[in-house]
Amino acid sequence: MASKLINFYLNGRQTEVLVKPLTTVQTLLREQLDLTATKSGCRQGGCGSCTILVDGEPMLSCLLPVEDIQGRQIITLEGLTSAESLDTIQETFHETFAAQCGFCTPGMILVAKALLDRNPHPTRQEVIESLTGNYCRCTGYEPIIQAILESAERMNGRGS
Amino acid sequence: MNNLEYYTPQSVEEALKLLADHSPSIIVLAGGTITMPLINEGISFPEKVLGLKQAGLNYVNSDNGTVKIGSAATLSQVQSGSGIAILEQAARSIGGWAIQNMATAGGNLFAPPPAGDLAAALLALDAELVICSARGERSLQLENLYSGFLTTVLEPDELVTEIRVPKPAGKTIFSKFARKGANTPAVVTVAAHLVFKGDQVDSACVALNAVGPYPMRANKCEAVLEGSVLDADKIGAAAEAAANECEPFTDSIASDWYRRKMVDVTIRRALAGIKG
Repeated sequence: MASKLINFYLNGRQTEVLVKPLTTVQTLLREQLDLTATKSGCRQGGCGSCTILVDGEPMLSCLLPVEDIQGRQIITLEGLTSAESLDTIQETFHETFAAQCGFCTPGMILVAKALLDRNPHPTRQEVIESLTGNYCRCTGYEPIIQAILESAERMNGRGS
Repeated sequence: MNNLEYYTPQSVEEALKLLADHSPSIIVLAGGTITMPLINEGISFPEKVLGLKQAGLNYVNSDNGTVKIGSAATLSQVQSGSGIAILEQAARSIGGWAIQNMATAGGNLFAPPPAGDLAAALLALDAELVICSARGERSLQLENLYSGFLTTVLEPDELVTEIRVPKPAGKTIFSKFARKGANTPAVVTVAAHLVFKGDQVDSACVALNAVGPYPMRANKCEAVLEGSVLDADKIGAAAEAAANECEPFTDSIASDWYRRKMVDVTIRRALAGIKG
């Protein structure tokens, strides 16, 4: 079992890690790099709480071997926050109470980020469709859908 | 886990050589959406794993009336690149956004029912597989791939490298009946491709998933449709034939009884849609 050196970009920073074969990105982030915003939910690809962005596309870090992200751009929830402030989507989730227990929130926000990056004016239906892989057992989804629509408005300069 | 090795070949040739050297004790991992849950859960303990993501098989292109899908192309790539409506619909009906960015067209062929709905659309379009090994290349109609639940006619050193889909000449429909609108396993999935000559059905290709040990063609249903004018009687007879010839199972999604009923209903609705 030879460990391998893997290079990739993590939240914009070039990163080199030594991992055992078939280690998942989820395990790497949480246990080796102490980045625990990426949650460990079902580890079956069913809940979406471990969602990360790989080259801007939502993927499930629990199903993704680290060897497969060689050279790629990884964004986790930690990567949205600057030293001074939260990202607009985070701010909106916070202000509009779109989180209850908060376990699904990192995945929800990253999917919202990927959606708004490619579609700045999503319809309600498009927001719902983008979230079908992310489970929330608290909110009933409505506050999350509203927060994403509100985020879009704020980013487009029409909100408060 | 002690001797676990994960190979990430950079070309198809390299992948085939690894398969030749290590089969049958090596498993193939493409998107990881079927295999990784089993590993995470401690159900599967592979010693050698072949990762296909970097082997150059993630393409979708079309030329001369045929769409060629590399077996490691993701379901998202199939949605945006195939230009065939029922393939796009099938790919969109599987999992959520993140799963579609990971799961591959080739991998989905090996998903245990009720998963594996892409194959229903591919069967309806009479897709052909390119199968390679270090010994050479052969082609196989998708229809002839399956030999039972989770078993195929592939040799251990063989790899599906490409799916070739002729662009449909007739009318197509894809209909997945499930308990939710999205990200859900099927109660039954129906895909059909009918070529008409005037009012008459000249050729019919009807495929079913989630109602048998593997995705399958509904041959008796097709025989009823061919040569008919798709009136209500014929549609009813075709739906009944499919309900009789399928081999539904019971799982946490639906009972075999309910699945058989819904084969009938889903085919009636689908064919009425083609007619309209």
